[in-house]
Amino acid sequence: MPHRLSSALWFCAPFIVLIVLWAVFIPYFDVNPRLFPHLSSVVQAGIEGIQDGTLVQHISASLLRVAVGTVLALLVAIPLGVAMGVSPFVSNFLTPLFRFFSVLAGIAWIPIATLWFGYGFGAITFVIFNAVFFIVTYNTLLGVSTIPIHVRNAAASLGAGRWAMLTEVLLPGALPNIVTGIRTGLGFAWRGLIAAEMIATNVGLGYMLFVARDFYRTEVIVLGMIVIGVLWLLLDRLVLAPIERATIERWGMVRRA
Amino acid sequence: MKDLTIRNLSKTYFDPYAGTNVTAVHDVSLKVEQGEFVCIVGPSGCGKTTILNMIAGFIPHTGGEILVGGRPVKGPGADRGVVFQSFALFPWRTVLENVAFGPKMRGVRKVEREKIAHEYLALVKLTEAAGRYPAELSGGMQQRVGVVRALANEPDVLLMDEPFASVDAQTRMTLQEELTRIWQEKRPTVIFITHDVAEAVFLGNRVIALSKGRVLEEISVDLPRPRSWDALNDDARFKELSGRVLQLVRSA
Repeated sequence: MPHRLSSALWFCAPFIVLIVLWAVFIPYFDVNPRLFPHLSSVVQAGIEGIQDGTLVQHISASLLRVAVGTVLALLVAIPLGVAMGVSPFVSNFLTPLFRFFSVLAGIAWIPIATLWFGYGFGAITFVIFNAVFFIVTYNTLLGVSTIPIHVRNAAASLGAGRWAMLTEVLLPGALPNIVTGIRTGLGFAWRGLIAAEMIATNVGLGYMLFVARDFYRTEVIVLGMIVIGVLWLLLDRLVLAPIERATIERWGMVRRA
Repeated sequence: MKDLTIRNLSKTYFDPYAGTNVTAVHDVSLKVEQGEFVCIVGPSGCGKTTILNMIAGFIPHTGGEILVGGRPVKGPGADRGVVFQSFALFPWRTVLENVAFGPKMRGVRKVEREKIAHEYLALVKLTEAAGRYPAELSGGMQQRVGVVRALANEPDVLLMDEPFASVDAQTRMTLQEELTRIWQEKRPTVIFITHDVAEAVFLGNRVIALSKGRVLEEISVDLPRPRSWDALNDDARFKELSGRVLQLVRSA
């Protein structure tokens, strides 16, 4: 697939330019490492972090929180979104609450979350949950309510009962929207995660960044920022975007009505 | 396949814009025998789709009764198959799975229902397309799938709501000829809604002209089968019948 390869190269090109500029100009202007690190010291910090296991520990702590928070959020958000999509009453009743809480979805919950769950895993997972929950619920609602009424009628007149309607029509019909919601929600969650980890824990990428600042270890800070960005790009480009594309493009989606 | 009886059917709903009750269907009675092909023809807004939606059970009727094989209609059911103008295929299912959907809902095993689906797809020469998704097919092919999806479930009555209105003219003629051929082969009970007078006369055993929610007249179509456009285009009897129905519909 030469097209895939060339588009991947084009994606990497600006980063390569940035790295080259970094490698050349920071030593050239003799920048104080307390303000910005040399490329070589960041690479060094990365190697050390892998060798002594701390980097892996921080990464796995962060990923675990995202995974658990996201899965819990999906378990609640998808059924609720379907219920809202099917019932105008439920949807009308809950919409004002959703408007209100979607503004708060994020690190505004950290203070109270730490009171409820203590510092660490629980509080941070709760922040992730919030970030994913509201957007996936809304997207599920959107997905269900945009399934053409004729498609639902067709299923009913082919003998689909309530359960089959849910599993054969509503969920697959809403799936492209749900996937888009997960993708957007995880983007928010990832940002919220780093912020929350700076405040409310003692392990994780955000914590790694924040603590390094106390020791003026800019190479660890920059390493952390790079890892955060790269992890997200890998997750988004290699997992989420292909799933989204597979459902939407293959099905040429519903909207033709 | 069973017969269908409609007695004094009416539909009144509240129009929030006008602020009054509107009667879309007024005291319609109709008997469709088993294996008959009845076309309901009329202009937009004459209530023909409302009648079909009530028979299908998609919307409730406000007066009279609808009986399929003697049993009253309460909501949608597999005894009444529907073919939609918008095709209404499941985009996330392959062509084969779409056609096998009804049997699947009846609990027919996978091997068996795929065999059924393949048989019906062969009927409309879509064997090759079995593994494709609806979005990959032309409009005419999608509606062939729509027709056999409804038929594969072996409904008592097949309800068709302007099924060929959104395909191009050439494809429409082909689909009409295919439908008459399939009807002769399977002899389903069909109610076919259309605004196209020639289509109604070409397809039906009987044409019911509808206007403003009322039945104007029923016309028996005694044209021989199999019917084809090549044969009927210049047929005097076809022209006479079409002319009469057109006059009825336009004069109302």
